[in-house]
Amino acid sequence: MADVVLKDIRKQFGATEIIRGVDLTVDEGEFAVFVGPSGCGKSTLLRMISGLEDVSSGELHIGGRRMNDVQAAKRGVGMVFQSYALYPHLNVRDNMGFGLKVRKVPVDERDRRVREAAATLKLDALLDRYPRQLSGGQRQRVAIGRAIVGSPDVFLFDEPLSNLDAELRVHMRSEIAALHNRLKTTMIYVTHDQIEAMTLADKIVVLRDGLVEQIGSPRDLYEKPNNVFVAQFIGSPRMNLLPAAEAKLISPTHALPASAVSVGVRPEHLRVVEPTTDSLSATVTLNEYTGAVTLMHVELPGGQTCLVVDDKRDMPPIGTRIGLTADKDNLHFFDADGRAVS
Amino acid sequence: MTRRQIDIIYRTCWTLALLIVAIPFVFPFLWMVSAGFKSTTEIFGTPSLLPRVWRYENFIEVFTYQPFARQYFNSLYIAIAVTVLTLIISSLAGYALARMRFAGAGLLMLFLVSALMVPEEVTIIPNFFLIRSLGLIDTHWPLILLPTFGPHGVMATFLMRQYFLALPRELEDAGRMDGLSRIGIWWRIALPMSRPALAAVAIITFLFSWNLFLEPLIFLSSLEMFTLPLALSNFNDSYGLPLWNLQLAATTLAVLPILIVYLIAQRQITESFALSGVKG
Ligand SMILES: Nc1ncnc2c1ncn2[C@@H]1O[C@H](COP(=O)(O)OP(=O)(O)OP(=O)(O)O)[C@@H](O)[C@H]1O
Ligand SMILES: [Mg+2]
Repeated sequence: MADVVLKDIRKQFGATEIIRGVDLTVDEGEFAVFVGPSGCGKSTLLRMISGLEDVSSGELHIGGRRMNDVQAAKRGVGMVFQSYALYPHLNVRDNMGFGLKVRKVPVDERDRRVREAAATLKLDALLDRYPRQLSGGQRQRVAIGRAIVGSPDVFLFDEPLSNLDAELRVHMRSEIAALHNRLKTTMIYVTHDQIEAMTLADKIVVLRDGLVEQIGSPRDLYEKPNNVFVAQFIGSPRMNLLPAAEAKLISPTHALPASAVSVGVRPEHLRVVEPTTDSLSATVTLNEYTGAVTLMHVELPGGQTCLVVDDKRDMPPIGTRIGLTADKDNLHFFDADGRAVS
Repeated sequence: MTRRQIDIIYRTCWTLALLIVAIPFVFPFLWMVSAGFKSTTEIFGTPSLLPRVWRYENFIEVFTYQPFARQYFNSLYIAIAVTVLTLIISSLAGYALARMRFAGAGLLMLFLVSALMVPEEVTIIPNFFLIRSLGLIDTHWPLILLPTFGPHGVMATFLMRQYFLALPRELEDAGRMDGLSRIGIWWRIALPMSRPALAAVAIITFLFSWNLFLEPLIFLSSLEMFTLPLALSNFNDSYGLPLWNLQLAATTLAVLPILIVYLIAQRQITESFALSGVKG
């Protein structure tokens, strides 16, 4: 077990800087998740921690040791790849034991550790199969097993579930959470699925264009986003963003901060009421019934569209004029630069 | 007619059509084998597919007329040496060109590929002077070194490079995480995954060396050093006229290994030609 500390980490590919100064501490035993839009540098950052990619500048410490120039295999990290990256010419047993074999661990010791990992991951019956004979979920488990066998101090996952179908993804997500509970090893997990991030993380790191936008617990990010980007990135469906003036109507008791130019309110926090003068009036344009909840699209007098999520079965039909309100605690104000103000 | 009957008729027609198309390809081969058992007079007498008198002694004379066993062995060991060397070099160089970033890699590739466009006949004279200055005339060295490091080796390297380029990078990353060095990744991940490409290179290289004629003709002079293609052109009577029956008997023996390999690895070979984009 070990903590991971990044100090002003940067990465250049040729002339372009992809990671532009990241400071980050992942505590021992913590489950940290990197999220961010495609191309923001999540994988690159993870690969720098793993040692697959050189650090252009900055300091990388794992377990108190400076790792900038240490080989990937000697950093005590195990990695699970998005494509699983199982060796197609080796069976499950040899795939999992390959790293130990390269490190010249004696056969019986290797065997014991492979069997242990296989038992943990319920792979016992599959040890003699080849990767092509496994289902997606089983391959994923072997890939995790391969990382476990090396007993790393830190696990790194790069979008490990993105090749699985929705149902299996939910299942494997809970298995990974259970694994973390059992092993209590530091884990860093990359995803662009924010549900995965919210459910798994002790700490979420939101990245954009090679910079950290915010670091915090899932709840922090949901309730107290630092800026418009985080506010809209975390939470699904995304937060509605309206001109600050509308805040008065949504929640009349709220005092408007001086520098606020926009107000954010999550679809699930908007309530539908009779249209009155002290509610935000809107017209229903579309209802999307999903079973548990209905997504109602509405249009405001100013022409903006806005989304409301409600668990009521019967939403007002299309064309109805309605009023919208929300509790003042659920309003988020942002200044002209998109920073949160209160 | 039932569905089944139509099916049978359909298939019979197809088979017949294919048989007819195959005749021009199979006939010369059968003619060669049969002529190998005839006497010279019979070859030039009334044509017949089967010999009237089977002269099995042709196949013994082949070995007494010149050191044919020795020549056979020469061809075999040279082809094996060329194949093994080419496999090692083309897979190493191909891997480097596919995966290692070094200054001038692109230029080097261009340089190599342009070598493919120079016909062998153009380089044979400079090569002759080179080999002579090294004192390797009438040895097997040029027959091993020229195919390995010449255009054929370049083609093999190119083939391997293209195959390595298509291998998933994450597998090599996984290898690095498992503690493999560059060379370890090449040996324990890239090579085992490239068996189809290696087989293709092995087969076309073996055939290339086995069929080589110009180089042996230029570089070899003593009978004991001859390779098969050269030996085959050497079954002549005292007037320099070909002893057709011996020559064709010897040719039959010469195509034997290729025939055997082909029967064993039929599918592999078809695939390898498709992969290499090269004619047989
Ligand atoms: N080897 C490389 N050479 C040059 N540019 C690279 C290289 N690897 C990544 N990049 C660039 O770095 C940026 C970040 O890539 P990265 O793979 O880290 O993104 P990501 O956040 O993981 O995205 P995704 O969610 O799509 O996986 C991209 O713009 C990419 O084009
Ligand atoms: Mg990525």
